[in-house]
Amino acid sequence: MNIRQSFKMALKSIWSNKVRSALTMLGIIIGVAAVIILVSVVRGQNIKMKEYYESMGTNKVNISAYVWNGKDVSQQLYDFCLEQSDIVVGVTPNMSTWGDIKYRATNTSAHPTYGSPQVYYGSDRYSQCNNYTLERGRDISFLDVKTYNQVIVIGSKLSEYLFQYKNPIGEKISLRGYTFEVVGVYKAKDTGMNEYWSLDYMAVIPYTMSRLLDKTTQITEFTAKIKNAESVNTAITRLNDFLAKKVPENSGYFYVYSENQWLEQSDEQNKLMSNVLGGIAAISLLVGGIGIMNIMLVTVRERTREIGIRKAIGGSRRTILIQFLIEAAVVCGVGGVLGILVGGLGTVIAGKKILDILVFPSMGMTVGAFAFSVALGITFGMYPAVKASGLQPVEALRAE
Amino acid sequence: MKLLHLTDVYKIYQEGQENEVRALNGVSLDIARGEFVSIIGASGSGKSTLMNILGCLDVPTYGEYYLDGQLVSELPDRRLSKIRNLEVGFIFQGFNLIESLTAIENVELPLVYQGVSARRRREMAEDALERVGLADRAKHHPSEMSGGQQQRVAIARAISTRAPILMADEPTGALDSRTGEHVLEILHGLHDGGTTVILITHNNELAETAERVIRVSDGKIVQDGKTAAEVTR
Ligand SMILES: Nc1ncnc2c1ncn2[C@@H]1O[C@H](COP(=O)(O)OP(=O)(O)OP(=O)(O)O)[C@@H](O)[C@H]1O
Ligand SMILES: [Mg+2]
Repeated sequence: MNIRQSFKMALKSIWSNKVRSALTMLGIIIGVAAVIILVSVVRGQNIKMKEYYESMGTNKVNISAYVWNGKDVSQQLYDFCLEQSDIVVGVTPNMSTWGDIKYRATNTSAHPTYGSPQVYYGSDRYSQCNNYTLERGRDISFLDVKTYNQVIVIGSKLSEYLFQYKNPIGEKISLRGYTFEVVGVYKAKDTGMNEYWSLDYMAVIPYTMSRLLDKTTQITEFTAKIKNAESVNTAITRLNDFLAKKVPENSGYFYVYSENQWLEQSDEQNKLMSNVLGGIAAISLLVGGIGIMNIMLVTVRERTREIGIRKAIGGSRRTILIQFLIEAAVVCGVGGVLGILVGGLGTVIAGKKILDILVFPSMGMTVGAFAFSVALGITFGMYPAVKASGLQPVEALRAE
Repeated sequence: MKLLHLTDVYKIYQEGQENEVRALNGVSLDIARGEFVSIIGASGSGKSTLMNILGCLDVPTYGEYYLDGQLVSELPDRRLSKIRNLEVGFIFQGFNLIESLTAIENVELPLVYQGVSARRRREMAEDALERVGLADRAKHHPSEMSGGQQQRVAIARAISTRAPILMADEPTGALDSRTGEHVLEILHGLHDGGTTVILITHNNELAETAERVIRVSDGKIVQDGKTAAEVTR
């Protein structure tokens, strides 16, 4: 008997024992799919957290610098950062003001969820430092800052609220009694983490306008964007050195810190959660495996008799083992592939429903879950064959 | 040496224990090629045990069994499976059909192991079912058939390969006398064609149709007659 016939025989056996084959497959499908969905959703959550932090802007260094005599360090800090262009991408004040923005009859105070937007005092590097990109128009320019231009760049949600589908560029809005011209709109970047607040419901005006609006003479909070995560510590050191010279110890204070620290911490938490859920997934895989094992063992007697008959009429040990191996491999393989499909589909659906993002299962985990279930299925599918095919036919036939 | 040769064969279950059973208790026997032998004896006397050993389905606890000059206990699995497949057609007392296969698939199974092409073995299986009068039940599963019908499927399976030795353990036990006689006719037909036939039966009339009758009692051969009448008397 050749392999082709063994294959046919195995397929015939699978087909003739539909219920058993289906139950075995079901065990594997559930095991594989459960693990894939569980682990993928956690991974999706991690990705989403990362995205959230990234949308706020990673590799940022926050600087507080306050001098009691009221002298402003912002210009010097800005110049210093320009000199550090090898690692510092840009610097911007990190201060904001509140205020209703009015455009014709529309007033932001009437917005049902967000109310009045946060208006940031920004340099020409504001968007760079905070990961905003322009959708249309232009950004705040160096000249706007220098010459106190009354221009404003708005977030996509704010633009939507004030102008609906109208082109806002060139429109005049009023803020705290001052008129600003809209020169640009930022692209939407909010990940939808918070429903009462949005990164896209905001506006930026040149930071020098703070003297007009808030009558402040001093900008004390800054954000510097650093080229990459590796350079953050160097940047902190350099900024500390610089500020130590500019801010006299007895007449002011300064503080430099990085948000990357939060990111690292949350990374650690995510890892912990991944481990815990990975453990749960492993347990569910084991439970699924025990299910498979159960089905296989329940049929051992029946199959032992079958093997006795097959041996009695001329099946050799080898032929019978090959048939059972193919049978188990096909049932478990098909079950495993179906499990991957169900798991993949479940992951996409769960990702959309729970996290509102598109998540796909990772390759390694999929392969792992598949390999484990299939190995388990084959082991226990082969078990009766290995045991019974070594017996005398009469002994195997006695199993009843 | 004859085709089948047993010397001082014992089959002992639970040896040395209180519930020891000597199913075969020192059997020596020779059966020549082309013989038609009936084995009779009371229930539990060891007939099936003897037949299982002769069919290479079981091994003696002690003693030697030569089939066609080969010491069976020393044959490897591959060789044994070839013998069971090609040399011996075996009809079990308990039918031993595979439940998940249809009648014709059961009949085809030994031919599958022989590597006969699908088309040819379908023909051979249909022919065998025809001979036992079950052509119309080919697609039925064993559970959908009466005991007698199942027995006939088992007979069809054993004769489908046209093996040179046919062993039948109570092949007519579940059959009415007319169908039983028909089965016996088939066996005699095969015998006339050169097949060596060994038949276990409780029916003396059937046994007497053989040219040689062996009586087994308590695991021993107590009578071995060339003329049936003297043994069954
Ligand atoms: N696996 C076993 N364990 C213990 N005893 C066994 C076993 N198989 C058979 N026996 C015993 O061996 C003896 C012979 O059994 P066997 O099946 O050969 O009888 P038989 O002559 O075929 O009877 P019947 O006509 O009822 O079929 C019986 O006493 C039986 O109980
Ligand atoms: Mg018997």
